[in-house]
Amino acid sequence: MSTHSDSLAEYRSKSVNNRMGLWLFIFSDSFVFAGLFIARFNLMPDARPELNQLLGLIVTAVLLASSVLMNRAEIAIGAGDQKSFLRNTLLTMVLGTIFLVGVVFVEWPLAAQHISPREGVAGSIFYTMTGFHAFHVLTGVIFLFIVWNNGRKGMYTTERHFAVEACAIYWHFVDVVWVFFYPALYLIGSNIIGG
Amino acid sequence: MEEKKIKPDYSVNQLVLIILAILTLGEYFLGVIATINIAGVMLLFGIAKAFFIVKDYMNIGRLFFGEENH
Repeated sequence: MSTHSDSLAEYRSKSVNNRMGLWLFIFSDSFVFAGLFIARFNLMPDARPELNQLLGLIVTAVLLASSVLMNRAEIAIGAGDQKSFLRNTLLTMVLGTIFLVGVVFVEWPLAAQHISPREGVAGSIFYTMTGFHAFHVLTGVIFLFIVWNNGRKGMYTTERHFAVEACAIYWHFVDVVWVFFYPALYLIGSNIIGG
Repeated sequence: MEEKKIKPDYSVNQLVLIILAILTLGEYFLGVIATINIAGVMLLFGIAKAFFIVKDYMNIGRLFFGEENH
């Protein structure tokens, strides 16, 4: 019994350090996104690319909903509800994939009718911002799959589930980035480029 | 060893969901109808949404206060 509690104390101590490392990574990664965000307003102060605003709202709603479900998954594993944890993680993964498909396979071809990554500022900004963000979403979906698969094998418990917490923090970070990218690309700017 | 199961509390999760939905819809309609530059207002919407996600979903408090904030 004492061995179990000792190792649990050790696990918690390691989790404190791991959490610090994760947040440092998130903090440093956010500078890259901040750079892209600032570049967008520096290069197009009062303009935005011609994009489908409704589609932008739909993909944003999908990503926000995935964040809500990921939080539910984390709460569920903390309460020992494995079934709910697995279901919510799987749904998060599905919504993340829908977001990726919406941006890369629907929005990109639609935007290509008006702007191009090879010509002009609007295209360069739009494809760089959404492309860099999409790579993070893809990484998050892969991370989610690993956590879901490990969860199926019963690797996480109420007291030992730092991997789930790390995956959730990363996923919410990707969501926070989109919270700023969405209005910057779809809503702000009265002059429409490519329209 | 059978793991004990407690009832998950989703109250904060649901409250943040409602706040995010209201802010996102407000932001969308403002962006669609605006004819002037509203970058500052949009930034405030973004900061408000990010605040709730970072505080309640990412649980940044755990970084400073550990598991008690769980």
